[in-house]
Amino acid sequence: MLELDAVTKRFGGLTAVKDVSLRAAPGEILGIIGPNGAGKTTLFNVISGFYAPNSGTVKLDGRDIGGMAPHLVCALGLTRTFQLVKPFGNLSVLDNVMIGALTRVRAVSAAREAARQVIATCRLEPFATNRARSLPIGLRKRLEVARALATRPRLLLLDEVMSGLNPTELVEMIEILRRLHADGIGLIVIEHIMAAMMRLAQRIVVLHHGEKIAEGRPEEISRDPRVVDAYLGEEFVLADA
Amino acid sequence: MGAVPQLVVSTVLLGGIYALISVGLTLIFGIMRVVNFAHGEFLMLGMYLAFWSFTLWHLDPYVVLLVAAPLFFLIGLLTYALVMRGVVKASHNVQIFTTVGLSIVLQNAALVAWTGDFRFVRPWHSAVVLRLGDAAFNLSQVVAFVVAVLFTAALVAFMRWTRAGRIMRATAQDVEAATLMGIDTDRVYRLAWSIGLVCVGIAGVLMSPLYSVYPTAGLQFVLLAYVVVVLGGLGDMVGALLGSLIVAGVEVAGSYYLGSAWKEVIYFLLFIAVLVFRPAGLFGQRGAETLGA
Amino acid sequence: MRASLPALIFFGLAAVVPLITHDGFLLDSLILILLWGAVSGAWNVAGGYAGQVSLGHSAFFGLGAYSAALMATRWSLSPWLGLLVGAGLATVAGLVIGYLSNRLKGPYFGLATIAFSQVLLILASRWRAVTSGSEGIPVPFRPGFASLGFQSKVPWVYLILALAVGVYLVARYLETSRPGYQLAGVREDEDAAEALGIPCRRLKVAAVAASAAITSVCGGLWAQYVGFVDPFYVFSVDLSIRFALMSIIGGIGTAIGPFVGSVLITSLETYLRATFSDFAAGLIGIYLIIYGCLLIVVVRFVPQGLVGWMGERVRAMGRYARA
Repeated sequence: MLELDAVTKRFGGLTAVKDVSLRAAPGEILGIIGPNGAGKTTLFNVISGFYAPNSGTVKLDGRDIGGMAPHLVCALGLTRTFQLVKPFGNLSVLDNVMIGALTRVRAVSAAREAARQVIATCRLEPFATNRARSLPIGLRKRLEVARALATRPRLLLLDEVMSGLNPTELVEMIEILRRLHADGIGLIVIEHIMAAMMRLAQRIVVLHHGEKIAEGRPEEISRDPRVVDAYLGEEFVLADA
Repeated sequence: MGAVPQLVVSTVLLGGIYALISVGLTLIFGIMRVVNFAHGEFLMLGMYLAFWSFTLWHLDPYVVLLVAAPLFFLIGLLTYALVMRGVVKASHNVQIFTTVGLSIVLQNAALVAWTGDFRFVRPWHSAVVLRLGDAAFNLSQVVAFVVAVLFTAALVAFMRWTRAGRIMRATAQDVEAATLMGIDTDRVYRLAWSIGLVCVGIAGVLMSPLYSVYPTAGLQFVLLAYVVVVLGGLGDMVGALLGSLIVAGVEVAGSYYLGSAWKEVIYFLLFIAVLVFRPAGLFGQRGAETLGA
Repeated sequence: MRASLPALIFFGLAAVVPLITHDGFLLDSLILILLWGAVSGAWNVAGGYAGQVSLGHSAFFGLGAYSAALMATRWSLSPWLGLLVGAGLATVAGLVIGYLSNRLKGPYFGLATIAFSQVLLILASRWRAVTSGSEGIPVPFRPGFASLGFQSKVPWVYLILALAVGVYLVARYLETSRPGYQLAGVREDEDAAEALGIPCRRLKVAAVAASAAITSVCGGLWAQYVGFVDPFYVFSVDLSIRFALMSIIGGIGTAIGPFVGSVLITSLETYLRATFSDFAAGLIGIYLIIYGCLLIVVVRFVPQGLVGWMGERVRAMGRYARA
């Protein structure tokens, strides 16, 4: 469904993403890991249209979307979230999600209904009328996901939605993501929390200094010496799930 | 060809004054990243200071300069404490309307206190005409120019070589890093603001023999100062100097060839064009992206 | 689309006033309150709802005023046509400014809009061939509805009231419709809105253009009512700031806020001007000083304005009542 071919992004003298190729099949959960500064968020920015690649192609369902405006990319079915969450602070949680829904549903009342359903899926009902900026970080992250979900994406790019969550919130978030997967939505997940990533992802891509250094199933990745060297520090033993 | 020497001299002299106004603005903008919509009003206050000193006590503006510098520094401290503190971190709306509000207050305070009548400061030196070859200019212009250049040079030296100057530049470059290094950014902003006001207050005093004095005198100069600052690169002092010469040149040449009416149109359009196409200024290296930050 | 109770009361009262009194001064005040409220409401479409704070809206007001005046004087055409032409010109200007709003943020956009309004000022005051230069244009009075010449002020009250209600309804539309909600997203966080599929650039340009068109219609009607167009007034930075001031003090994100702001500012001004016409200049200066201070305080501590603040008090009381 999503195909990146030799994508490169430079900022002046700095090459943030270098020659990265990857594929995400429809409905699969793809993880992206790597040390800070590896270029993961930049990659998301390129895929979603916030940056145009300097070279290489980004294709969604075979269609070249490189450099396409982000709102058009969203209309095609690819929605991304932000690492530093960006809630519409002065608006209620319901309004936040509804604005996402309005991209697919034209009538305001229907959009509101759709938003309520998404809020239910993401277990945000008790907070529906709260102002977004009054929410603590854990709920903000969930709102970020809910809002993106309301745009009915076929592919959802999640940028560190789990960082900053306490253990209970983490379990709930993983639950939500599993449900999205069960509904057939493809997920590309940037994450630092290895335990969660290992449990969730079907395949993992590892970035380091902007380059892809490894790709494969979680068990393979955790044993790959290059990955261990660059990132994991020591061999990450996958505990029995 | 005969007009060119005159044009050049006029440009240089005018450029010096614009430089003084703009250097203060670029300092405030460069360090605080706040657009000061009230900058022209402080210029106006400087002009009135010169006017009343001249009218009431027969003090020459150049004598008043000595008092003006510390006075405007105090005004800076006062207005910072009352109005500007905390504005740097606030929303865009707060930043815009705080200085817009300040501008309204100052303009109308002048109007209420001193009426809208046009005033004039005409010391002996404003009538003295000097000649250099084909070019004629008056003594007031020359003194204004000399003082402006000296003051600007002193400011550039201060920013480059003193500890306080380095601290200010560090804060401008990276606020978080500065805070982590233990720099009290509030004090830095206060200093930048106050020095900026000293510059523009002094400019007002220097300009009083050359222009009429009235409550809204600041407006035309503040827009011009922004053209200079944007051309030169927001926050870049040397850029401000060069930008002043360009704007002065446009004004002088435009005035001569097209008549004074259209010169303003030219530099407003220049202003918009630079903002849109080269927001880093013609000389500045600061990222255009910071315009939105 | 429901109108709120305060709005119904406000406009209802305005409608009733001419039935109770024929006092010229009161009617004049009412007309000006409604007119400035409408202009500020138009400004609010761009400044409040779209988050594009313009400090040069007098450019559009002046375009409207000149269009109406020129249509009537030079070409002896109906000023209604002038309103249309003015709206057209202002829309084009609005598209340009809207484009700028996509390139410049916050204060820089404000500066650019000031520069734009000043360019128009210079053009209007120097281009004698078209605009009679700096003397301005007196607008002829020709009786009749088609030429907007009314003998009494009463028709003006209802005409401007209709304008004001129209502006109010536009704002309410922005609070309850799909483009309105999307615009709210753009205002709150443009990147997030873009990522959610909202065409931010297009919406901003549309909002600014709409705001410009409505402002110019207000300018055209004002020109007909007042009877004289002075370029130094009509394109002034002062005027632009007043449009913003009324919305901010009244409530920048609300539909009725600009009108509340206008009541405060306009009524006091007309009262002072009438009562103390001799030294009015000095006194008007004082209340402007007060409003300047108010602006500084409100924008920092009560950013939702008077109406927003009162709304919160009412909701808070409601919560106490239920508890």
